[in-house]
Amino acid sequence: MMHSDIKSRPEYRALEPDLAGNRHLLVIEGETLQHGRLDALAGTFAPVAGQLQTWLVGAPTAASGLGKVWQLAGPDAVLDAFACASRGFGMGDRLYVQGTEPFLWSVAGAAALVGFGPGQVQLHHAGSLRRRVWCTHCHAFTDGVTTNIVPCGGCGRHLLVRDHFSRRLGAFMGVMVDAEAPGEIPAIEEVFA
Amino acid sequence: MSIAFKPEETFRGDYSYRNSDAAILRFPFPFPEDRYMYSVNIEPHTRSGPSDVFLRPFDVDEHYIAECRDRAITLERDPGRCQVLPHMMMAQWDTLELLMENLSADYPELFSLTKEGDDFGSRWTWINRPLRIKQSFIFGDAGTLPCEPFEYITRQAQGDFAICDQRDDNLYMDAGMITAQADWSLEFDVGMSFMEWHGPVPLAHQAGVFERALKYLLMLRLGQPVRRLNWTMSINPRLDTSPESFPEWGPDRSSVTPDNAGHKVHLRVELQTLWRLPRSNAILFPIRCYLASLDDLARVPKWGKRLNRVLATLPPQLAEYKGLTRYLPATLEWLAKHDDGAELPVGTEAGVTTLAPR
Ligand code: HEM
Repeated sequence: MMHSDIKSRPEYRALEPDLAGNRHLLVIEGETLQHGRLDALAGTFAPVAGQLQTWLVGAPTAASGLGKVWQLAGPDAVLDAFACASRGFGMGDRLYVQGTEPFLWSVAGAAALVGFGPGQVQLHHAGSLRRRVWCTHCHAFTDGVTTNIVPCGGCGRHLLVRDHFSRRLGAFMGVMVDAEAPGEIPAIEEVFA
Repeated sequence: MSIAFKPEETFRGDYSYRNSDAAILRFPFPFPEDRYMYSVNIEPHTRSGPSDVFLRPFDVDEHYIAECRDRAITLERDPGRCQVLPHMMMAQWDTLELLMENLSADYPELFSLTKEGDDFGSRWTWINRPLRIKQSFIFGDAGTLPCEPFEYITRQAQGDFAICDQRDDNLYMDAGMITAQADWSLEFDVGMSFMEWHGPVPLAHQAGVFERALKYLLMLRLGQPVRRLNWTMSINPRLDTSPESFPEWGPDRSSVTPDNAGHKVHLRVELQTLWRLPRSNAILFPIRCYLASLDDLARVPKWGKRLNRVLATLPPQLAEYKGLTRYLPATLEWLAKHDDGAELPVGTEAGVTTLAPR
């Protein structure tokens, strides 16, 4: 897991079932599902297995030992699933999310809309450190960013990826790197593997 | 007291903004000493202080009309500069009431407010003479105003405004009218907590500044506003130095030379006040911005010298964060010519009552 000094980025922790909850929903981004890790996750959630539901998002294979398992195609399907499942969720429910950072925050945002409060949600960052970048100039998102500087998918400006994170947007701030001296673009390096 | 407004001056394009001699003398110069570092510089917002800008809770000056117009231009181009989360309606009315009451009490020739009652449901009439507005509305009924109450009143006020909701022993930036910011984005920050939105500030977190400031603010009391000064620098008298428009104003930072620094480089001082709001228990954070060129400041000998010393010794992390790095050498070269090295008294007062000729 990452360590970071970025004040606006949360501390992500390992998931741990909250025994005070009465129903438990685990949402896992498929690409972060590793074979050995799956058994470990099943072990972690064994105490609440009877009340556990798991949404596997974009996973190639099914999983067992994680309560009732649903396969969802992608992040959009998670939003839809929340929308139609919303009648069922209440104060006693607990949500656990494992995935890359943009995934965590899109699920957390969708969950907040159907009434999950911060105390009901745990987020565990796993998989790649790629960043989603929000362009301060045109407000477009650029996904899967691994470099310190990236061309904006919206306006094409070269954005410096700043260490400033917005949970609402699930993204880091990108600011035109050569705004002061157009054309002066520093070396581009791979930094978020 | 009558104010000679300058309705035609601009904060973009030809940048025709200028300070009168009186405006220079009342500038809230922020440096009591020859060195500067972040601190918890919060004090009661009483009607007194080393500059006239402190005499009234919400200062109105000669730039009022032009600043309101500049805000309207920015909002037209980017409506996202005003954002209010849905649970903030009560705080919107609190803000409108606070501003209307204070402005009409302190500037009766400019503003007037007549009320049939203090409660929701009563009829109020607001008159803003400089902007030629007369509006009757039902206090508490947003449908009786041309736009929501927070946007309505802050379009008629100088300075930016943020409203912080207080919950879980924290403050959340859940509303803002932000068109004159020193390079931060409301769209990015809206909904953030106190530590999150202060994330990019260097050195202050480690020094415990934000932890202590937050503790203090959580206990802020109704009727006992507090204030602090913050500062940075801008090239040209530009209010909209947002990250959104950085591609427009960024190149100006490369245009500074020791010859033109005097009229290009501006000290940008924010008088920030903090107000507990009565019904919502939120905190209103007005950020009133004052701009003065180096030419202006050097006409007060103490200020020109002091600015030279503060900038010459500024920690590099602060210079970088404030975006000064590229033009600091040219600025210092200009300022050094106005500093004879004489010892200066502690304090921010101008120490003169008339200015050296231009
Ligand atoms: C509660 C209302 C407040 C709001 C809404 C607010 C907002 C902000 C924002 C948006 C920034 C820019 C951060 C960035 O770079 O993105 C900032 C900077 C800063 N704030 Fe606050 N702030 C508040 C109160 C305070 C208080 C009470 C202090 C007292 C110590 C403080 C100290 C600072 C400092 C030192 C900076 C860096 C400014 C610079 O060097 O130019 N703030 N604030």
